[in-house]
Amino acid sequence: MKIHHRAGSIFWLAVGIYTAISAYRLGLGSFRQPGPGFIFFLMALLLTILSAIDLGSTFTGKSKPDKDKRDEPLWLGVRWQKVLLVLVGISVYIYVFNFLGFLFSTFLLMIFLFKAVEPTKWWVSILASVITILISYGIFKLWLKVPFPSGFMGF
Amino acid sequence: MEILHNLFLGFQEIFLLENLLYCFVGVFIGTLIGVLPGIGPVGAMSLLLPATYKVSPLASVIMLAGIYYGAMYGGSTTSILVNIPGEAASVVTCLDGYQMARQGRAGPALGIAAFGSFIAGSLALVGLMLVAPPLASIALRFGPPEYFSLMCLGLTILIYLASGSIIRAIMMAAFGVIIGCIGQDPETGSSRFVFGIPDLLDGIGLAPFVMGLFGISEVFLNIEQSLKERNILSTKIKGLLPNWQDWKDSIKPILRGSVLGFFLGILPGGGAVISSFASYAVEKKVSKHPEKFGKGAIEGVAGPESANNAASEGAFVPLLTLGIPPNVVMALLLGALMIHGITPGPLLIPKHPEIFWGVIASMYLGNAMLLVLNLPLIGMWVQVLKVPYKILFPLILLFCLIGAYSINNSTFDVAIMLVFGVLGYLMRKYKFEGAPMVLAFVLGPMLENSLRQSLLLSDGSFLIFFTRPISAGGMIVTFLMLISCIIPTLRRKREVIPTEER
Repeated sequence: MKIHHRAGSIFWLAVGIYTAISAYRLGLGSFRQPGPGFIFFLMALLLTILSAIDLGSTFTGKSKPDKDKRDEPLWLGVRWQKVLLVLVGISVYIYVFNFLGFLFSTFLLMIFLFKAVEPTKWWVSILASVITILISYGIFKLWLKVPFPSGFMGF
Repeated sequence: MEILHNLFLGFQEIFLLENLLYCFVGVFIGTLIGVLPGIGPVGAMSLLLPATYKVSPLASVIMLAGIYYGAMYGGSTTSILVNIPGEAASVVTCLDGYQMARQGRAGPALGIAAFGSFIAGSLALVGLMLVAPPLASIALRFGPPEYFSLMCLGLTILIYLASGSIIRAIMMAAFGVIIGCIGQDPETGSSRFVFGIPDLLDGIGLAPFVMGLFGISEVFLNIEQSLKERNILSTKIKGLLPNWQDWKDSIKPILRGSVLGFFLGILPGGGAVISSFASYAVEKKVSKHPEKFGKGAIEGVAGPESANNAASEGAFVPLLTLGIPPNVVMALLLGALMIHGITPGPLLIPKHPEIFWGVIASMYLGNAMLLVLNLPLIGMWVQVLKVPYKILFPLILLFCLIGAYSINNSTFDVAIMLVFGVLGYLMRKYKFEGAPMVLAFVLGPMLENSLRQSLLLSDGSFLIFFTRPISAGGMIVTFLMLISCIIPTLRRKREVIPTEER
């Protein structure tokens, strides 16, 4: 599956090129007095050259993909949809955190996490969520004095 | 006498109630993390990094250090009982530890792992006490070129030991430096790669970065697999105290493992994983019965378990004396100290003796606590092993989310953590290593500073790195290591070296 290997190299190649151009714009300075973009440019150059070599190796056959685990299909036989689901859940949580407040938004998130990935009984999910929130509230809010948002409902 | 006086000072610090409590919390969480497969010491330390912002610098280092060496203890439990290493340094313990458990000797295997770790940990502390102060006084003479070359060397060794493609490991280190330097330029004050986001002016925080890269990505990788229950040996664990024959067989491996682990731990890029494998190889080599290895030889448990504990303490030498973290775990400790305004380096011992000696004293006490936690309470840890992952992962995620939020009381850090969580997940799937990136991230700003200062000193000449002896030595070794990766025979040898803790 050289395609995965190539995809990784192309991503970093793009990151390298973008960083190098932006660093150049920041100002490289001189060797006597390096500017703010100097270290970025050096590193981006290194990243670009190496990712080009890495990409090139997939065409010249030096990457030995058949001996490598890179040969394994990356997205087949795994539950990447569950990962996506959890990712969306957390993104929504971050979005509504200040609006709904810590207690309510975290309660909803915990119920979601307990139910979304593996089938868990409702009472187990609710009980585990309540216990988790109480413990985390005790540690972070009461002990470490983290000022959690109260949300529109005031708690 | 001075050492004893300083050690006394350290014990005075550690016996303060707050420090005692954080030492216990550290080793307790470390053992827990070591026992639980699915989260390693790096993930756990990064998870708890925000919690240390609110306490004193000594308490924060004591707790984080406790997690690290506590995980080394706890990791052996799962290796022996379940044949699943709780963390990377215990992989080799599975070979003989699990076989001993199958033969009904789980008790002596767990016992010798705990006692071996205790003895090795204590011996390594003596080494740390003796080696660190003289090394720090030598390091006082180091200038920016020496620091630059030593940091390059540290990064190169980590890259050299990274599993898989060396090109990709260097790429990750380069990217680590880039994101480590994001924010305001320390000299000109101009903003760099902040994309108009004010939160980025101070740079990307270490805690959300590592929590995402190691904590969140680990959870993502685990939930994409079916969450199967683990099979735990159901036999009752009895006779934790090893018998006379067990001690006779183990004492030399413990001593050899302690010395080997300590010195491998000091080397930049070295660490607990390498030393445990090296100790196993040495024990098999010197044994009169090498055929017993892999079939339940107690030496195969005693040596590596001692070595990984000694290495975890040896790794403090370059951090506390030079300010250069030899591995990712030490990079996190460096970050924790710097957040409190303390820069580890040659001036740490004269300026903050209470931190250096306090950490040392805490390790003595921590080792004793671990012995108590691991032997009489083994039954409790076995129960912890039975906690299903579907209950565990929401808790890990929640701790990451709250931890990231509590740094600046802002959801921006949580979002940053999530971004790096996705990046870390994809990196692991596409075989890019996170460890060089994290070390480079931490070293990045220091690397930039020392490079700029060196070039200013030399009027723009890169020859400064080769005209000063220590710097030249570091640079030559760095280049030799990079060149050796191109030589096919050496490259093949590198490829069989196990992965460093991630």
